[in-house]
Amino acid sequence: MTAAIETEKLTKYYGRSRGIIDIDLTVESGQIFGFLGPNGAGKSTTIRLLLDLIRPSSGHARVLGLDIHHDRLAIDRRVSYVPGELSLYSELTGGQLLTYLGNLHGSIDAIYRDKLIERVELDPTKRIKSLSRGNKQKVGLVAAFMIRPELIILDEPTAGLDPFVQLEFEHLCEETRSEGRTVFISSHQLPEVEHLCDRVGIIREGRLLAVESIADLKQRALRRLEIDFGGSVPAGAFVGLPGIRDMNVHDGILNCTVMGSVDALIKAAARYEVRNVRSIETSLEEIFMAYYGSGDGIAAAAGAGEASHVAA
Amino acid sequence: MLLRNVFTKTIRDLRWPTFWVALGMGAMTGYFALLFPTYSKIMDMNALLEKMGPMAKIFGSSIGDASTLIGFLHFELFSMMLPAGMIAFAAGLASGFTAGEESRGTIDVLLSYPVPRRRLVLEKSLAILIACFVIAAATGLFAVVGAALSASELPVGPLSAALALVVLLSLAFGAIALAISAATGNRGAAIGVTVALMIAMYLIDALANIVDGLNTIRPLSLFKYYAGHDPLRYGMDLGDTAVLVSVTAVFLVIALVAFERRDLAA
Repeated sequence: MTAAIETEKLTKYYGRSRGIIDIDLTVESGQIFGFLGPNGAGKSTTIRLLLDLIRPSSGHARVLGLDIHHDRLAIDRRVSYVPGELSLYSELTGGQLLTYLGNLHGSIDAIYRDKLIERVELDPTKRIKSLSRGNKQKVGLVAAFMIRPELIILDEPTAGLDPFVQLEFEHLCEETRSEGRTVFISSHQLPEVEHLCDRVGIIREGRLLAVESIADLKQRALRRLEIDFGGSVPAGAFVGLPGIRDMNVHDGILNCTVMGSVDALIKAAARYEVRNVRSIETSLEEIFMAYYGSGDGIAAAAGAGEASHVAA
Repeated sequence: MLLRNVFTKTIRDLRWPTFWVALGMGAMTGYFALLFPTYSKIMDMNALLEKMGPMAKIFGSSIGDASTLIGFLHFELFSMMLPAGMIAFAAGLASGFTAGEESRGTIDVLLSYPVPRRRLVLEKSLAILIACFVIAAATGLFAVVGAALSASELPVGPLSAALALVVLLSLAFGAIALAISAATGNRGAAIGVTVALMIAMYLIDALANIVDGLNTIRPLSLFKYYAGHDPLRYGMDLGDTAVLVSVTAVFLVIALVAFERRDLAA
Protein backbone atom coordinates (compact mmCIF):
# COMPACT_ATOMS: atom_id res chain seq x y z
CA MET A 1 0.00 0.00 0.00
CA THR A 2 1.15 3.52 -0.76
CA ALA A 3 2.40 5.46 2.22
CA ALA A 4 0.31 8.47 3.17
CA ILE A 5 3.41 10.60 3.58
CA GLU A 6 6.91 9.88 2.44
CA THR A 7 9.72 12.37 2.69
CA GLU A 8 13.25 11.94 1.55
CA LYS A 9 15.97 14.18 2.94
CA LEU A 10 13.43 16.97 3.08
CA THR A 11 15.25 20.16 3.99
CA LYS A 12 14.21 23.75 4.37
CA TYR A 13 16.29 26.76 5.20
CA TYR A 14 14.84 30.23 5.59
CA GLY A 15 17.73 32.23 4.31
CA ARG A 16 20.48 30.93 6.58
CA SER A 17 18.28 29.96 9.48
CA ARG A 18 17.21 26.39 9.96
CA GLY A 19 13.77 25.13 9.14
CA ILE A 20 14.17 21.38 8.93
CA ILE A 21 17.14 19.25 7.93
CA ASP A 22 17.16 15.91 6.10
CA ILE A 23 13.80 14.66 7.28
CA ASP A 24 13.19 11.06 6.22
CA LEU A 25 9.71 10.27 7.37
CA THR A 26 7.27 7.60 6.29
CA VAL A 27 3.71 7.58 7.55
CA GLU A 28 1.82 4.47 6.56
CA SER A 29 -1.82 4.72 5.57
CA GLY A 30 -4.55 3.85 8.04
CA GLN A 31 -2.93 5.10 11.18
CA ILE A 32 -3.00 8.06 13.48
CA PHE A 33 0.46 9.52 13.51
CA GLY A 34 1.69 11.98 16.08
CA PHE A 35 4.34 14.45 15.02
CA LEU A 36 5.91 15.61 18.22
CA GLY A 37 8.42 18.20 19.17
CA PRO A 38 8.85 21.41 21.09
CA ASN A 39 7.75 24.72 19.61
CA GLY A 40 10.10 25.85 16.87
CA ALA A 41 11.33 22.32 16.17
CA GLY A 42 10.10 22.44 12.56
CA LYS A 43 6.68 20.79 12.77
CA SER A 44 4.81 23.54 10.98
CA THR A 45 7.61 23.93 8.46
CA THR A 46 7.32 20.23 7.59
CA ILE A 47 3.55 20.49 7.26
CA ARG A 48 3.65 23.64 5.12
CA LEU A 49 6.20 21.94 2.86
CA LEU A 50 3.87 18.96 2.44
CA LEU A 51 1.10 21.40 1.48
CA ASP A 52 3.34 23.17 -1.05
CA LEU A 53 2.82 26.50 0.70
CA ILE A 54 6.58 26.74 0.97
CA ARG A 55 9.16 25.00 -1.20
CA PRO A 56 11.95 22.73 -0.01
CA SER A 57 15.58 23.83 -0.17
CA SER A 58 16.37 20.23 -1.06
CA GLY A 59 14.89 16.77 -0.82
CA HIS A 60 11.57 15.35 -1.96
CA ALA A 61 8.24 14.40 -0.56
CA ARG A 62 5.23 12.47 -1.72
CA VAL A 63 1.74 12.55 -0.28
CA LEU A 64 -0.55 9.60 -1.12
CA GLY A 65 2.13 8.62 -3.58
CA LEU A 66 1.82 11.94 -5.43
CA ASP A 67 4.46 14.60 -5.91
CA ILE A 68 3.75 17.46 -3.50
CA HIS A 69 4.32 20.12 -6.13
CA HIS A 70 3.43 18.69 -9.51
CA ASP A 71 0.36 16.76 -8.39
CA ARG A 72 -0.87 19.53 -6.14
CA LEU A 73 -4.52 19.64 -7.20
CA ALA A 74 -4.95 15.89 -7.00
CA ILE A 75 -3.51 16.01 -3.49
CA ASP A 76 -5.72 18.95 -2.46
CA ARG A 77 -8.83 17.01 -3.40
CA ARG A 78 -7.85 14.12 -1.14
CA VAL A 79 -6.03 15.80 1.73
CA SER A 80 -7.29 18.36 4.20
CA TYR A 81 -5.50 20.59 6.62
CA VAL A 82 -6.25 22.52 9.79
CA PRO A 83 -3.50 25.04 10.56
CA GLY A 84 -2.45 25.74 14.13
CA GLU A 85 -3.16 29.43 13.84
CA LEU A 86 -6.51 28.99 12.19
CA SER A 87 -7.57 32.12 10.30
CA LEU A 88 -10.85 32.11 8.43
CA TYR A 89 -12.81 34.75 6.56
CA SER A 90 -14.22 36.46 9.61
CA GLU A 91 -16.96 38.34 7.73
CA LEU A 92 -18.62 35.07 6.70
CA THR A 93 -20.75 32.88 8.90
CA GLY A 94 -19.50 29.38 9.65
CA GLY A 95 -22.11 27.98 7.28
CA GLN A 96 -21.13 30.34 4.46
CA LEU A 97 -17.47 29.47 4.90
CA LEU A 98 -18.22 25.75 4.74
CA THR A 99 -20.30 26.37 1.60
CA TYR A 100 -17.46 28.31 0.01
CA LEU A 101 -14.81 25.73 0.86
CA GLY A 102 -17.14 22.94 -0.23
CA ASN A 103 -17.61 24.63 -3.59
CA LEU A 104 -13.86 25.06 -3.99
CA HIS A 105 -13.43 21.38 -3.31
CA GLY A 106 -16.12 20.44 -5.78
CA SER A 107 -17.72 17.38 -4.26
CA ILE A 108 -18.99 17.52 -0.72
CA ASP A 109 -21.53 15.23 0.86
CA ALA A 110 -23.85 17.88 2.33
CA ILE A 111 -25.60 15.39 4.58
CA TYR A 112 -22.31 14.27 6.07
CA ARG A 113 -21.25 17.91 6.48
CA ASP A 114 -24.46 18.76 8.35
CA LYS A 115 -24.01 15.73 10.54
CA LEU A 116 -20.52 16.94 11.45
CA ILE A 117 -21.87 20.40 12.26
CA GLU A 118 -24.34 18.74 14.59
CA ARG A 119 -21.74 16.51 16.17
CA VAL A 120 -19.43 19.34 17.19
CA GLU A 121 -22.44 21.52 18.07
CA LEU A 122 -21.46 24.35 15.78
CA ASP A 123 -23.91 27.18 15.17
CA PRO A 124 -23.43 27.77 11.42
CA THR A 125 -25.41 31.02 11.39
CA LYS A 126 -22.92 32.93 13.53
CA ARG A 127 -20.32 35.14 11.91
CA ILE A 128 -16.83 33.75 12.37
CA LYS A 129 -15.56 37.01 13.86
CA SER A 130 -18.01 36.57 16.75
CA LEU A 131 -16.87 33.00 17.51
CA SER A 132 -14.56 32.03 20.34
CA ARG A 133 -11.29 30.32 19.55
CA GLY A 134 -12.76 26.91 20.38
CA ASN A 135 -15.78 27.51 18.15
CA LYS A 136 -13.57 28.70 15.29
CA GLN A 137 -11.63 25.50 15.72
CA LYS A 138 -14.90 23.60 15.25
CA VAL A 139 -15.41 25.31 11.89
CA GLY A 140 -11.90 24.29 10.93
CA LEU A 141 -12.49 20.68 11.98
CA VAL A 142 -15.78 20.41 10.06
CA ALA A 143 -14.10 21.98 7.01
CA ALA A 144 -11.31 19.43 7.24
CA PHE A 145 -13.37 16.31 7.90
CA MET A 146 -16.26 17.12 5.53
CA ILE A 147 -14.28 16.21 2.42
CA ARG A 148 -13.66 12.74 3.88
CA PRO A 149 -9.95 13.17 3.29
CA GLU A 150 -7.65 10.22 2.72
CA LEU A 151 -5.13 12.13 4.79
CA ILE A 152 -5.94 14.82 7.29
CA ILE A 153 -3.17 17.03 8.59
CA LEU A 154 -3.79 18.78 11.88
CA ASP A 155 -1.31 21.29 13.23
CA GLU A 156 -1.72 21.54 17.02
CA PRO A 157 -5.44 20.83 16.73
CA THR A 158 -6.44 20.47 20.34
CA ALA A 159 -5.54 23.88 21.70
CA GLY A 160 -8.65 25.70 22.85
CA LEU A 161 -11.09 22.84 22.36
CA ASP A 162 -13.49 22.20 25.18
CA PRO A 163 -13.54 18.64 26.56
CA PHE A 164 -16.70 17.70 24.72
CA VAL A 165 -15.38 18.78 21.33
CA GLN A 166 -12.03 17.24 22.18
CA LEU A 167 -13.79 13.90 22.65
CA GLU A 168 -15.75 14.31 19.42
CA PHE A 169 -12.52 15.20 17.67
CA GLU A 170 -10.92 12.00 18.93
CA HIS A 171 -13.90 9.98 17.71
CA LEU A 172 -13.55 11.59 14.29
CA CYS A 173 -9.87 10.68 14.17
CA GLU A 174 -10.63 7.10 15.17
CA GLU A 175 -13.39 6.83 12.56
CA THR A 176 -11.00 8.14 9.97
CA ARG A 177 -8.49 5.47 10.91
CA SER A 178 -11.06 2.70 10.98
CA GLU A 179 -11.93 3.54 7.38
CA GLY A 180 -8.30 3.07 6.43
CA ARG A 181 -7.64 6.75 6.12
CA THR A 182 -4.76 8.54 7.79
CA VAL A 183 -4.51 11.22 10.46
CA PHE A 184 -1.35 13.25 10.96
CA ILE A 185 -1.34 15.32 14.14
CA SER A 186 1.39 17.64 15.25
CA SER A 187 1.69 18.51 18.89
CA HIS A 188 4.21 19.69 21.41
CA GLN A 189 2.51 17.73 24.15
CA LEU A 190 2.65 13.97 24.12
CA PRO A 191 -0.10 13.46 26.73
CA GLU A 192 -2.57 15.21 24.42
CA VAL A 193 -2.12 12.66 21.68
CA GLU A 194 -0.55 9.53 23.17
CA HIS A 195 -3.86 7.71 23.66
CA LEU A 196 -4.86 8.57 20.11
CA CYS A 197 -1.73 7.80 18.14
CA ASP A 198 -0.41 4.51 16.80
CA ARG A 199 2.98 5.89 16.08
CA VAL A 200 4.87 9.04 16.88
CA GLY A 201 7.70 10.82 15.16
CA ILE A 202 9.89 13.03 17.26
CA ILE A 203 11.42 16.16 15.83
CA ARG A 204 13.89 18.43 17.55
CA GLU A 205 15.84 21.36 16.20
CA GLY A 206 14.80 20.55 12.67
CA ARG A 207 15.86 16.91 12.74
CA LEU A 208 13.73 13.82 13.01
CA LEU A 209 15.11 11.92 16.00
CA ALA A 210 13.01 8.79 15.89
CA VAL A 211 9.78 7.22 14.80
CA GLU A 212 8.30 4.74 17.21
CA SER A 213 5.07 2.97 17.87
CA ILE A 214 3.38 3.98 21.09
CA ALA A 215 3.38 0.31 22.06
CA ASP A 216 7.18 0.11 21.73
CA LEU A 217 7.58 3.28 23.65
CA LYS A 218 5.47 1.83 26.44
CA GLN A 219 7.54 -1.34 26.31
CA ARG A 220 10.45 0.73 27.34
CA ALA A 221 8.54 2.26 30.16
CA LEU A 222 10.63 2.95 33.20
CA ARG A 223 9.20 1.81 36.47
CA ARG A 224 10.36 2.60 39.93
CA LEU A 225 9.97 -0.59 41.89
CA GLU A 226 10.08 -1.03 45.65
CA ILE A 227 9.98 -4.54 47.06
CA ASP A 228 9.57 -5.03 50.77
CA PHE A 229 10.96 -8.40 51.84
CA GLY A 230 10.20 -10.15 55.11
CA GLY A 231 13.87 -10.24 56.05
CA SER A 232 17.20 -9.28 54.68
CA VAL A 233 18.04 -10.42 51.19
CA PRO A 234 21.41 -10.53 49.44
CA ALA A 235 21.73 -7.73 46.88
CA GLY A 236 23.76 -10.09 44.76
CA ALA A 237 20.65 -12.11 43.96
CA PHE A 238 19.39 -9.24 41.82
CA VAL A 239 22.56 -7.91 40.26
CA GLY A 240 22.72 -8.30 36.51
CA LEU A 241 19.07 -8.97 35.93
CA PRO A 242 17.96 -7.63 32.54
CA GLY A 243 16.62 -4.07 32.55
CA ILE A 244 17.53 -3.34 36.15
CA ARG A 245 19.47 -0.31 37.22
CA ASP A 246 20.02 1.97 40.16
CA MET A 247 19.42 -0.94 42.48
CA ASN A 248 20.02 -0.86 46.19
CA VAL A 249 18.91 -3.08 49.04
CA HIS A 250 18.55 -1.57 52.45
CA ASP A 251 16.87 -2.99 55.56
CA GLY A 252 15.22 -5.70 53.49
CA ILE A 253 13.77 -3.16 51.03
CA LEU A 254 14.87 -3.23 47.43
CA ASN A 255 14.65 -0.10 45.33
CA CYS A 256 15.38 -0.05 41.62
CA THR A 257 14.42 1.20 38.23
CA VAL A 258 13.25 -1.33 35.68
CA MET A 259 13.11 -0.75 32.00
CA GLY A 260 10.67 -2.90 30.06
CA SER A 261 9.53 -6.18 31.54
CA VAL A 262 9.66 -6.74 35.29
CA ASP A 263 9.42 -10.50 34.78
CA ALA A 264 12.99 -11.42 35.71
CA LEU A 265 12.99 -9.27 38.80
CA ILE A 266 9.67 -10.64 40.09
CA LYS A 267 10.81 -14.20 39.53
CA ALA A 268 14.04 -13.53 41.37
CA ALA A 269 12.17 -11.86 44.20
CA ALA A 270 9.71 -14.76 44.45
CA ARG A 271 12.42 -16.92 45.99
CA TYR A 272 12.11 -14.85 49.15
CA GLU A 273 9.25 -13.76 51.28
CA VAL A 274 7.68 -10.70 49.71
CA ARG A 275 5.53 -8.49 51.89
CA ASN A 276 4.72 -5.79 49.47
CA VAL A 277 5.53 -4.57 45.96
CA ARG A 278 5.09 -0.96 44.93
CA SER A 279 5.41 -0.03 41.30
CA ILE A 280 5.41 3.52 40.02
CA GLU A 281 5.08 3.77 36.27
CA THR A 282 6.56 6.79 34.60
CA SER A 283 4.38 8.56 32.09
CA LEU A 284 5.11 8.39 28.39
CA GLU A 285 6.04 12.02 28.65
CA GLU A 286 8.85 11.07 31.01
CA ILE A 287 10.04 8.25 28.79
CA PHE A 288 9.90 10.58 25.90
CA MET A 289 11.94 13.18 27.69
CA ALA A 290 14.36 10.55 28.90
CA TYR A 291 15.21 9.57 25.37
CA TYR A 292 14.79 12.72 23.41
CA GLY A 293 14.35 15.60 25.73
CA SER A 294 16.88 17.91 27.23
CA GLY A 295 15.94 16.68 30.70
CA ASP A 296 19.39 15.42 31.62
CA GLY A 297 18.35 13.92 34.92
CA ILE A 298 15.95 11.39 33.45
CA ALA A 299 18.18 10.78 30.48
CA ALA A 300 20.96 9.86 32.85
CA ALA A 301 18.62 7.57 34.76
CA ALA A 302 17.70 5.80 31.55
CA GLY A 303 21.35 5.34 30.74
CA ALA A 304 23.13 7.57 28.29
CA GLY A 305 24.26 4.60 26.22
CA GLU A 306 20.71 3.40 25.61
CA ALA A 307 19.50 6.87 24.76
CA SER A 308 22.08 7.46 22.11
CA HIS A 309 21.46 4.00 20.73
CA VAL A 310 17.80 4.76 20.17
CA ALA A 311 18.43 8.21 18.81
CA ALA A 312 20.80 6.74 16.25
CA MET B 1 -24.52 32.15 -5.50
CA LEU B 2 -21.54 34.33 -4.68
CA LEU B 3 -19.61 31.68 -2.80
CA ARG B 4 -19.04 29.45 -5.82
CA ASN B 5 -15.40 30.21 -6.46
CA VAL B 6 -12.62 32.70 -5.81
CA PHE B 7 -13.90 35.03 -8.53
CA THR B 8 -17.45 35.26 -7.25
CA LYS B 9 -16.24 35.42 -3.66
CA THR B 10 -14.04 38.40 -4.60
CA ILE B 11 -16.99 40.07 -6.34
CA ARG B 12 -18.90 39.50 -3.13
CA ASP B 13 -16.09 41.06 -1.07
CA LEU B 14 -15.94 44.03 -3.44
CA ARG B 15 -19.63 44.69 -3.81
CA TRP B 16 -19.89 47.39 -1.16
CA PRO B 17 -16.59 49.15 -1.79
CA THR B 18 -17.45 49.18 -5.49
CA PHE B 19 -20.92 50.51 -4.81
CA TRP B 20 -19.66 53.37 -2.66
CA VAL B 21 -16.82 54.37 -4.98
CA ALA B 22 -19.20 54.23 -7.95
CA LEU B 23 -21.70 56.35 -6.07
CA GLY B 24 -19.04 58.84 -5.02
CA MET B 25 -17.42 59.25 -8.42
CA GLY B 26 -20.77 59.20 -10.15
CA ALA B 27 -22.27 61.80 -7.85
CA MET B 28 -19.27 64.05 -8.30
CA THR B 29 -19.42 63.79 -12.07
CA GLY B 30 -23.19 64.15 -12.14
CA TYR B 31 -22.92 67.19 -9.91
CA PHE B 32 -20.54 68.92 -12.31
CA ALA B 33 -22.70 68.01 -15.29
CA LEU B 34 -25.84 69.22 -13.53
CA LEU B 35 -24.39 72.53 -12.39
CA PHE B 36 -22.35 73.22 -15.50
CA PRO B 37 -24.78 75.84 -16.91
CA THR B 38 -24.75 77.71 -13.60
CA TYR B 39 -20.95 77.58 -13.42
CA SER B 40 -20.47 78.84 -16.94
CA LYS B 41 -22.88 81.71 -16.25
CA ILE B 42 -20.97 82.80 -13.16
CA MET B 43 -17.54 82.59 -14.71
CA ASP B 44 -16.05 82.32 -18.09
CA MET B 45 -13.98 79.14 -17.88
CA ASN B 46 -11.99 79.91 -21.00
CA ALA B 47 -11.06 83.31 -19.63
CA LEU B 48 -9.99 81.67 -16.40
CA LEU B 49 -7.78 79.21 -18.23
CA GLU B 50 -6.33 82.01 -20.31
CA LYS B 51 -5.50 83.93 -17.17
CA MET B 52 -3.56 80.92 -15.93
CA GLY B 53 -1.48 81.20 -19.03
CA PRO B 54 0.89 78.32 -19.74
CA MET B 55 0.06 76.80 -16.36
CA ALA B 56 -3.31 75.81 -17.75
CA LYS B 57 -1.49 73.28 -19.89
CA ILE B 58 -0.87 71.28 -16.77
CA PHE B 59 -4.41 69.98 -17.19
CA GLY B 60 -3.59 68.54 -20.57
CA SER B 61 -1.84 69.41 -23.81
CA SER B 62 -5.05 70.96 -25.11
CA ILE B 63 -7.98 71.25 -22.88
CA GLY B 64 -10.28 72.19 -25.70
CA ASP B 65 -13.18 74.42 -25.11
CA ALA B 66 -13.93 74.77 -21.40
CA SER B 67 -17.15 76.51 -22.26
CA THR B 68 -18.50 73.12 -23.34
CA LEU B 69 -19.45 70.54 -20.75
CA ILE B 70 -16.96 67.99 -22.05
CA GLY B 71 -14.14 70.51 -21.82
CA PHE B 72 -15.26 71.46 -18.34
CA LEU B 73 -15.31 67.82 -17.22
CA HIS B 74 -11.84 67.35 -18.68
CA PHE B 75 -10.52 70.28 -16.69
CA GLU B 76 -12.35 69.48 -13.45
CA LEU B 77 -12.32 65.70 -13.32
CA PHE B 78 -10.51 63.79 -16.04
CA SER B 79 -7.23 65.65 -15.68
CA MET B 80 -6.67 64.27 -12.22
CA MET B 81 -9.55 63.46 -9.89
CA LEU B 82 -11.10 60.53 -11.71
CA PRO B 83 -7.88 58.74 -12.70
CA ALA B 84 -6.33 59.29 -9.25
CA GLY B 85 -9.45 57.98 -7.53
CA MET B 86 -9.77 54.96 -9.75
CA ILE B 87 -6.05 54.16 -9.52
CA ALA B 88 -6.23 54.33 -5.74
CA PHE B 89 -9.18 51.95 -5.84
CA ALA B 90 -7.56 49.41 -8.18
CA ALA B 91 -4.08 49.55 -6.67
CA GLY B 92 -5.42 49.47 -3.14
CA LEU B 93 -7.38 46.32 -3.84
CA ALA B 94 -4.70 44.65 -5.92
CA SER B 95 -2.04 45.19 -3.28
CA GLY B 96 -4.23 43.48 -0.70
CA PHE B 97 -5.30 40.47 -2.72
CA THR B 98 -2.57 37.98 -2.06
CA ALA B 99 -0.68 39.91 0.61
CA GLY B 100 -3.94 40.47 2.48
CA GLU B 101 -4.77 36.78 2.50
CA GLU B 102 -1.22 36.09 3.64
CA SER B 103 -1.22 38.57 6.48
CA ARG B 104 -4.67 37.48 7.62
CA GLY B 105 -3.46 33.89 7.40
CA THR B 106 -6.42 32.76 5.32
CA ILE B 107 -4.20 31.72 2.43
CA ASP B 108 -3.16 28.46 4.14
CA VAL B 109 -6.69 27.11 4.26
CA LEU B 110 -7.65 28.53 0.86
CA LEU B 111 -4.71 26.93 -0.93
CA SER B 112 -5.20 23.62 0.83
CA TYR B 113 -8.31 23.30 -1.33
CA PRO B 114 -7.89 22.56 -5.03
CA VAL B 115 -7.22 26.16 -6.06
CA PRO B 116 -4.08 26.67 -8.12
CA ARG B 117 -2.14 29.75 -7.05
CA ARG B 118 -2.34 31.10 -10.59
CA ARG B 119 -6.10 30.85 -10.67
CA LEU B 120 -6.31 32.66 -7.36
CA VAL B 121 -4.45 35.65 -8.82
CA LEU B 122 -6.33 35.57 -12.13
CA GLU B 123 -9.80 35.29 -10.65
CA LYS B 124 -9.15 38.10 -8.20
CA SER B 125 -7.72 40.28 -10.98
CA LEU B 126 -10.76 39.65 -13.13
CA ALA B 127 -12.94 40.81 -10.27
CA ILE B 128 -11.02 44.13 -10.04
CA LEU B 129 -11.42 44.64 -13.77
CA ILE B 130 -15.16 44.22 -13.50
CA ALA B 131 -15.38 46.49 -10.45
CA CYS B 132 -13.47 49.23 -12.30
CA PHE B 133 -15.75 48.97 -15.31
CA VAL B 134 -18.81 49.14 -13.08
CA ILE B 135 -17.48 52.31 -11.46
CA ALA B 136 -16.70 53.82 -14.87
CA ALA B 137 -20.14 52.92 -16.19
CA ALA B 138 -21.82 54.45 -13.16
CA THR B 139 -19.74 57.59 -13.57
CA GLY B 140 -20.72 57.83 -17.24
CA LEU B 141 -24.35 57.26 -16.42
CA PHE B 142 -24.41 60.00 -13.79
CA ALA B 143 -22.69 62.37 -16.24
CA VAL B 144 -25.22 61.66 -18.97
CA VAL B 145 -28.17 62.04 -16.61
CA GLY B 146 -26.72 65.26 -15.15
CA ALA B 147 -26.17 66.66 -18.62
CA ALA B 148 -29.69 65.74 -19.68
CA LEU B 149 -31.18 67.41 -16.61
CA SER B 150 -29.22 70.59 -17.18
CA ALA B 151 -29.90 70.44 -20.93
CA SER B 152 -26.15 70.53 -21.67
CA GLU B 153 -24.68 68.81 -24.65
CA LEU B 154 -22.46 65.83 -23.78
CA PRO B 155 -21.12 63.62 -26.57
CA VAL B 156 -21.31 60.05 -25.29
CA GLY B 157 -18.61 58.60 -27.57
CA PRO B 158 -15.67 60.68 -26.30
CA LEU B 159 -16.97 60.40 -22.74
CA SER B 160 -16.96 56.61 -22.97
CA ALA B 161 -13.51 56.63 -24.54
CA ALA B 162 -12.10 58.75 -21.73
CA LEU B 163 -13.73 56.58 -19.07
CA ALA B 164 -12.40 53.42 -20.73
CA LEU B 165 -8.92 54.91 -20.65
CA VAL B 166 -9.33 55.78 -16.96
CA VAL B 167 -10.09 52.10 -16.39
CA LEU B 168 -7.14 50.90 -18.47
CA LEU B 169 -4.78 53.31 -16.71
CA SER B 170 -6.05 52.14 -13.33
CA LEU B 171 -5.67 48.50 -14.29
CA ALA B 172 -2.07 49.15 -15.34
CA PHE B 173 -1.29 50.64 -11.93
CA GLY B 174 -3.34 47.89 -10.31
CA ALA B 175 -1.20 45.28 -12.08
CA ILE B 176 1.97 46.97 -10.84
CA ALA B 177 0.63 46.90 -7.27
CA LEU B 178 -0.41 43.27 -7.72
CA ALA B 179 3.03 42.28 -8.98
CA ILE B 180 4.81 43.93 -6.04
CA SER B 181 2.37 42.41 -3.56
CA ALA B 182 2.52 38.95 -5.13
CA ALA B 183 6.31 38.99 -5.28
CA THR B 184 6.94 40.30 -1.77
CA GLY B 185 3.81 39.57 0.24
CA ASN B 186 4.18 43.12 1.55
CA ARG B 187 0.99 45.09 1.15
CA GLY B 188 2.42 48.36 2.44
CA ALA B 189 5.28 48.27 -0.03
CA ALA B 190 2.88 47.53 -2.87
CA ILE B 191 0.64 50.49 -2.09
CA GLY B 192 3.51 52.84 -1.28
CA VAL B 193 5.56 52.14 -4.38
CA THR B 194 2.52 52.28 -6.65
CA VAL B 195 1.25 55.59 -5.29
CA ALA B 196 4.75 57.11 -5.48
CA LEU B 197 4.99 55.89 -9.06
CA MET B 198 1.60 57.36 -9.88
CA ILE B 199 2.55 60.78 -8.50
CA ALA B 200 5.90 60.78 -10.27
CA MET B 201 4.34 59.73 -13.56
CA TYR B 202 1.56 62.27 -13.21
CA LEU B 203 4.04 65.10 -12.59
CA ILE B 204 6.25 64.05 -15.49
CA ASP B 205 3.31 64.05 -17.85
CA ALA B 206 1.67 67.23 -16.58
CA LEU B 207 4.87 69.24 -16.35
CA ALA B 208 6.09 68.06 -19.72
CA ASN B 209 3.44 70.35 -21.21
CA ILE B 210 5.29 73.36 -19.86
CA VAL B 211 8.84 72.09 -19.37
CA ASP B 212 10.36 71.00 -22.64
CA GLY B 213 13.16 69.01 -21.05
CA LEU B 214 10.71 66.51 -19.62
CA ASN B 215 9.47 65.45 -23.03
CA THR B 216 12.33 62.97 -23.42
CA ILE B 217 11.18 60.94 -20.42
CA ARG B 218 7.50 61.54 -20.99
CA PRO B 219 6.99 58.14 -22.69
CA LEU B 220 7.91 56.56 -19.35
CA SER B 221 4.77 58.01 -17.82
CA LEU B 222 1.62 55.93 -18.14
CA PHE B 223 -0.40 59.16 -18.05
CA LYS B 224 0.92 59.95 -21.52
CA TYR B 225 -1.00 56.96 -22.83
CA TYR B 226 -4.07 57.95 -20.91
CA ALA B 227 -4.57 61.53 -22.05
CA GLY B 228 -1.83 62.02 -24.59
CA HIS B 229 -4.25 61.98 -27.51
CA ASP B 230 -7.12 63.79 -25.85
CA PRO B 231 -9.72 61.05 -25.72
CA LEU B 232 -12.39 63.54 -24.70
CA ARG B 233 -12.05 65.13 -28.13
CA TYR B 234 -10.76 62.44 -30.39
CA GLY B 235 -11.83 59.17 -28.76
CA MET B 236 -9.51 56.25 -27.96
CA ASP B 237 -6.13 56.04 -29.59
CA LEU B 238 -5.28 52.48 -30.55
CA GLY B 239 -1.57 52.83 -29.85
CA ASP B 240 -2.15 54.28 -26.37
CA THR B 241 -4.70 51.61 -25.60
CA ALA B 242 -2.25 48.93 -26.70
CA VAL B 243 0.48 50.32 -24.44
CA LEU B 244 -1.77 50.39 -21.37
CA VAL B 245 -3.08 46.90 -22.04
CA SER B 246 0.43 45.56 -22.61
CA VAL B 247 1.78 47.09 -19.39
CA THR B 248 -1.13 45.52 -17.50
CA ALA B 249 -0.49 42.14 -19.13
CA VAL B 250 3.25 42.21 -18.42
CA PHE B 251 2.80 43.02 -14.73
CA LEU B 252 0.02 40.47 -14.40
CA VAL B 253 2.36 37.82 -15.76
CA ILE B 254 5.08 38.95 -13.36
CA ALA B 255 2.57 38.65 -10.53
CA LEU B 256 1.55 35.15 -11.63
CA VAL B 257 5.08 33.88 -11.96
CA ALA B 258 6.33 35.49 -8.75
CA PHE B 259 3.40 34.25 -6.70
CA GLU B 260 3.73 30.75 -8.09
CA ARG B 261 7.35 30.43 -7.04
CA ARG B 262 7.37 32.10 -3.69
CA ASP B 263 7.24 30.71 -0.14
CA LEU B 264 4.00 31.99 1.35
CA ALA B 265 4.04 33.67 4.73
CA ALA B 266 2.88 31.58 7.63
